[in-house]
Amino acid sequence: MEVRYRILKPIRLEVALRVEGFTVLLGESGAGKTTLLRALAGLVPAEGEPFPGLPPERRPVGYLPQDLALFPHMTAWENVAFPLRGKGRKERALALLERVGLLPLAGRYPRELSGGQRQRVALARALARDPELLLLDEPTSALDPLTRDRVFGELVALIRDTGLPTLAVSHDPALAQVADRLAVLGSGRILQEGPPEEVLGAPASLEVARLLGYENLLPVRVREGGVEAEGVFLRLALPPWARPGQEAWLGVRAAEVLVAREDRPLPLENVLQGYLERLDPQGLAYRGVFRGPLTLEILLPRHVQERLRLGPGQTVRVVLKPRYLHLMPA
Amino acid sequence: MSETWTVLALSLKLALLTAFLLLPLAGSLAWLTARRTFAGKTLLEALLLLPLTLPPTVLGYYLLLLLGKGGPLARMGLELAFTFPGILLASVLFNLPLAFNTYREAFRALDPTLLETARTLGAGPLKVWREVVLPLTWPGLLSGTLLAFAHTLGEFGVVLMVGGSIPGETKVASIYLFELTQALRLEEADRLAGLLLALGFGSALALKVLERRWKSGTAS
Repeated sequence: MEVRYRILKPIRLEVALRVEGFTVLLGESGAGKTTLLRALAGLVPAEGEPFPGLPPERRPVGYLPQDLALFPHMTAWENVAFPLRGKGRKERALALLERVGLLPLAGRYPRELSGGQRQRVALARALARDPELLLLDEPTSALDPLTRDRVFGELVALIRDTGLPTLAVSHDPALAQVADRLAVLGSGRILQEGPPEEVLGAPASLEVARLLGYENLLPVRVREGGVEAEGVFLRLALPPWARPGQEAWLGVRAAEVLVAREDRPLPLENVLQGYLERLDPQGLAYRGVFRGPLTLEILLPRHVQERLRLGPGQTVRVVLKPRYLHLMPA
Repeated sequence: MSETWTVLALSLKLALLTAFLLLPLAGSLAWLTARRTFAGKTLLEALLLLPLTLPPTVLGYYLLLLLGKGGPLARMGLELAFTFPGILLASVLFNLPLAFNTYREAFRALDPTLLETARTLGAGPLKVWREVVLPLTWPGLLSGTLLAFAHTLGEFGVVLMVGGSIPGETKVASIYLFELTQALRLEEADRLAGLLLALGFGSALALKVLERRWKSGTAS
């Protein structure tokens, strides 16, 4: 589904976006993500397609606000039956609850359900409306951090089974991992959209790279066959727009700054010598800061650290492989 | 004895009609101020609070000027001083802040995303009111109505100023009690005061029961 919206209040937005499968829209808090969803649901005035000018009650849209807005005075099945009319209301509501795996809890009130269960009730209720589009606002925010990935994965699987185009907005880059399509919102417009591997691997601008969690962003000058960053020449394949002498930004993910193994031959290019300023455990990996001709954030997987046994203060060499260096226009 | 029942019946009629009229009046004002922002909202809210901050006799005095012989409303055909409709109007105005504040709190406690989400689920305004707003706010609405009812039973100053004490028309229980005491008819005064006490306590008890029910219903 193509979305083309112009919104003036409460925030100015001009959005052109394709929603296909499970589409994730990332943006910082206050970028207007919720406003866009509310406009699609008809709760905020907007110009454009789809559903131009229709009031909320006439839009074929399943909207799950961030707090889900389950009716507290109704049981799970009564919530699901809310959009339904006529005979067999209860049976149809129960069938929808069965579809999301909650039939045994049909008689519970929302306050008696977990975050993930409430989310599935809200999904079943939205499906009862026979929507053409599903809208999810920060779908991972109400979930228990311990079980978040599994519970959210199950929700996405349920949504995929429906085959409905879905737009999920979030500020959490982790959501991009389950996306069929990824878009980034900033400065009142869509900064970039496309297949997730394309957007994640090649952010079009500094703003997008920041939102996608690129830890190392360096101002550079384009040279013949590479770039110069703080006096250091780094070789990389230049994109077509880059001309020698031009200013640009270089993005490198911390996980893609490689620590060289001293027992192996070193590559010929892009090797920097320096020392580890710090190294702290982060989950099962280690996050640290390399200080040398350039200062870089690094992320060592557990198996690498087990082999190298690095510590703060230690001299190391890091390698910036040309294919992990991403150049963006200034 | 029969006069006791006459004045009690009149008080009950006044209280019931006041509470009944306040439901749509204070209800719509409460909805407006709880849900919308508009120019002059603070002024409107202050104006609605006025009957509570004014001495009842002052409110009664101005109403008498408005509704009495030669007053601006009387000249328009609304000569309501010393009539039952007159004390009803006074009583509605006098109780407006009480009902308004309780209704507004009930509407404020209602999560606006529930109403919006109901609309995105295909519900028109009628269905939203019937299935979401009323089930979630009725204890609050009922307690506002009960409060206005009980408070009207005890009204004295405004009613006396606007209505005088005309038997069968404007002589309500609280005024009759005053007259009985003045005349040292203490046996009758005793009985009437006891009845009013029972009514007042019954209302207060009902209010507290409702409040508990409301709290447990909205906490989720």
